[in-house]
Amino acid sequence: MIYGDRSTGVIVTGATGKQGAFHIALMNEYARKVGGVGVVAGVTPGKAGQEVAGVPVYNSIRDALKKHDASASVLFVPGFAAGDSIMEAASAGLSLVVAITEHIPVHDTMRAISYARIHGCDVIGPNCPGLLSPGEIKMGIMPVHLSSRGHIGVISRSGTLTYEIVDQLTRAGLGQSTIVGIGGDPVIGQTFRDVLRRFEEDDQTKAVVILGEVGGSLEEEGARATDLPIAAYIAGISAPPEKRMGHAGAIIEGGEGDARSKIARLRDMGVPVASRPSEVPRLIREIL
Amino acid sequence: MKLREHEAMKIFGEHGIPVPKGFLIRSVGELGPLMGELGDRFVLKAQVEVGGRGKSGGILVANPSNGERLLEELFKKEIKGVGVREVLAVEYLEIQKEYYASIAIDRSTKQALILFTDQGGVDIEILAKENPDAVRKASLPLLMRDIPPFMLRDLLGSSHKEIGSILNQLFRVFCEKDALLAEINPLVATPHGIFAADAKLIIDDNALSRQGITLNRDLTEREREAEKHGFSYVELKGDIGVIGNGAGLTMATLDLIEYYDGKAANFLDVGGGADQERVMHAVKLVAADPSVKVIVVNLLGGITRCDEVARGIISAGVEQPVIVRLAGTNEAEGRQILDGSGYRMMESMEQAVKAAVEAVK
Repeated sequence: MIYGDRSTGVIVTGATGKQGAFHIALMNEYARKVGGVGVVAGVTPGKAGQEVAGVPVYNSIRDALKKHDASASVLFVPGFAAGDSIMEAASAGLSLVVAITEHIPVHDTMRAISYARIHGCDVIGPNCPGLLSPGEIKMGIMPVHLSSRGHIGVISRSGTLTYEIVDQLTRAGLGQSTIVGIGGDPVIGQTFRDVLRRFEEDDQTKAVVILGEVGGSLEEEGARATDLPIAAYIAGISAPPEKRMGHAGAIIEGGEGDARSKIARLRDMGVPVASRPSEVPRLIREIL
Repeated sequence: MKLREHEAMKIFGEHGIPVPKGFLIRSVGELGPLMGELGDRFVLKAQVEVGGRGKSGGILVANPSNGERLLEELFKKEIKGVGVREVLAVEYLEIQKEYYASIAIDRSTKQALILFTDQGGVDIEILAKENPDAVRKASLPLLMRDIPPFMLRDLLGSSHKEIGSILNQLFRVFCEKDALLAEINPLVATPHGIFAADAKLIIDDNALSRQGITLNRDLTEREREAEKHGFSYVELKGDIGVIGNGAGLTMATLDLIEYYDGKAANFLDVGGGADQERVMHAVKLVAADPSVKVIVVNLLGGITRCDEVARGIISAGVEQPVIVRLAGTNEAEGRQILDGSGYRMMESMEQAVKAAVEAVK
């Protein structure tokens, strides 16, 4: 597993909102099932003393850390406050922030990621479903019933497309080590390259699926920097230029980041790229 | 959202970037009284959001005797299919040299990317490909207040020193305005100093409200309607309507349609928590496009309730056939509801897409 395991304590910020409360319950349901620590505290400024899904709520991460052991936070705070929340977690000494929030102004994300880096804190997301190491830990909103424990790492810029592929891998008997949703925004904390580096040091992971989409060149940068066997699927072959395809980061700009040239560059590096999601399990079998 | 040139020019000017004296004109009659301030020669620039505006006749050099006639012609013109409703009249600049300067978001370094070249006035993407050494680059964390002097020396080389302060002002505009791109092309040297002869500013859609912008002009009417419901919607040119949850899965559905030689009419991501009402609105919105002959709904989620989705589809009651792939909780119930009402439920996205492509053949 990477980024965390059963022993990782998690603080949820934005705990008292509808999303926060709902997903604290699901994360802890999973923690109980696998014998993990799970979410130990929630944080919402001004809501100290409340309880959400059986978890005590504090005004700040610092306050929560006085009473609980935790090294990671999962945040559900609204876009305008999420950058602040990332910096609070980094400043309090947490080593990982998983930012689920969508619609964070990109300048806020850039500042928060720079700040977190100074404090040695890694950021997954924003605009992501978080991560799931089957049988170990879930930090975020991924459905657990489609996954199974195994040796395939999955890194994705998307949410539901990840579930689609994970479902197909599971049906094909290919369990997963860790599934990481790195986020659909133009600027994200952990990129394909960063997560691949973690997978390289993870004995459980034998091959990795990269699920990319139009916009930028993070897929190629990741593939170029790793020795692990990888297979890819890139969404957006039918995406028109200069249009945002749902994700803030899914846009072909200035003639760059289109799916066809991305796929061509990956294939030039020897990375097999699926033409359809249903081809992914076969490609993974071939490189194992 | 992309600002118009005159809006960006005004912001640049307010931040101390030298800009030519200029006036926004909406009718021919407005030019006369301004002629005294514009001088013996001035430039009329159509305010249209198309690339290659100059080559398409959207920028004209005029003088007091032919100004009104040229302006009248410009207002009657269509530049690449776009009508001219506003014209920016600016004083003529005696150009001795052209530069290019921009600040953008760099996904790889997660910092601001500053680009500068002393070969301005050209298409920067072409220049970067043909002569990459001519384009100087620097990455700057947004935690910085100014561009450090060493970085300015690296960027500018032997170019005019006063461009350094213009780059710093441009960086301030970039930060204060939540910009995705702040660009001056060309930045020009004249006998009277350096001027921004053009201005481009794209504001982050996620920061529009704190920038005081209430209406995103980049969206079409149907796209704006979709935004009100919290959907991401993009109009395309085909005949198969598409509804999915999640941007990646919806894009993959479009790609699969193309793989089977079909053509998607739209991209619609209903987002998380697709309940009965949201699904109904989504189906109605897609069906309202007259080119849509069949609709594919592809929803996959751990927490999406299939019975809710099924009721949403039925309550939309649209004329076009709706082909559905649903996976989530209460799947069997959702299937039962749809089967009973004559809708087609498919096992996989691949089957659903194939059926839709067949249906329009």
